[in-house]
Amino acid sequence: MLLELFRWLEVNLPGGAYLRESTYGFSALLTVHVVSLCIFFGLILMMDLRLVGVGNLRTRAADMSARLLPWQVVGFVIMTVTGVALVWAQPLRYYGKTFFWWKMGLMVLAGVNAGIIHLITTRSATAWDSNAAKFAGAASIVLWTVILALGRLTAYEWYTTEYFLE
Amino acid sequence: MLLPFFEWMEGVAVYGSTIYLGPAVNIVHLCAMVTFLGALMVVDLRLMGTGLTHQPVAVVARDARPWLLGALLMLVLTGVPALMATATLQYANSVFWVKMYLLGLGLLFTFTVRNRVAFAEEGRVGSGTAKFVGLLSILIWLSVAALARLIMMIPANSFEWLVGGSVR
Repeated sequence: MLLELFRWLEVNLPGGAYLRESTYGFSALLTVHVVSLCIFFGLILMMDLRLVGVGNLRTRAADMSARLLPWQVVGFVIMTVTGVALVWAQPLRYYGKTFFWWKMGLMVLAGVNAGIIHLITTRSATAWDSNAAKFAGAASIVLWTVILALGRLTAYEWYTTEYFLE
Repeated sequence: MLLPFFEWMEGVAVYGSTIYLGPAVNIVHLCAMVTFLGALMVVDLRLMGTGLTHQPVAVVARDARPWLLGALLMLVLTGVPALMATATLQYANSVFWVKMYLLGLGLLFTFTVRNRVAFAEEGRVGSGTAKFVGLLSILIWLSVAALARLIMMIPANSFEWLVGGSVR
């Protein structure tokens, strides 16, 4: 059923065919996706290292989080828009990629983890240095690293099924 | 002039016959790039007057330095075998050369001008200068990352007009 939806998307999304067939459209999207990912994950990582307690120790974890947030959001928005556009261009290709679905699942987990960090740290100012915060920071690093790796691995033909329109 | 060297590199067969080492090295290279850019941007954003503004630039820069240098080392350690595996293809690709020239410029800029500005005593560097240095640093390194992604994806002669013939 989901396959039928992706078939329908492949045919009906406006601009999809253009992105699929143009020389620079897809390349440009992928490049902006990678660069915005660097902004997002790079700044998330700096915050996580502080949470875990191994880096940026001269800055308070609460400041690290609050002050880097706007730039993390900038990276996240561009990353998401270009990511959606990449799937928009080739719905059936991504449908057949096992690594793509793992990546989507882990992104949900990373989102939940970010929510947990938020819940832990809104309780009190000292909660930033709790073991729970440390664990959540480490989980964030691991999750986003695996998500990044899965994104890269999607480019190869491993665990790939090819689907056609009919 | 450098072609024999690139041919020699390709002859070394760093990955042997395994098909997993190449992608694995690639992924570590990406992770190192994320770490490098993160450690770079916390300082550059601070130079631009945003981000960790309640701290002096030098404090932010001192904290970020081990991650910046460690990630740079990792980038080189993974970048060299990645280059060696496809050396002659890279040699013929103008996008690769633009990346290398910009990378050289980035390193030079980072360890001279940017270092001096980031570690200067407070008040010694004007805020306009600091903003300019931070912005330029971000632009150079994000461009290096973008060019890296574009190699092998856009036509090899895309930048031939810029780095054709004798520039190599």
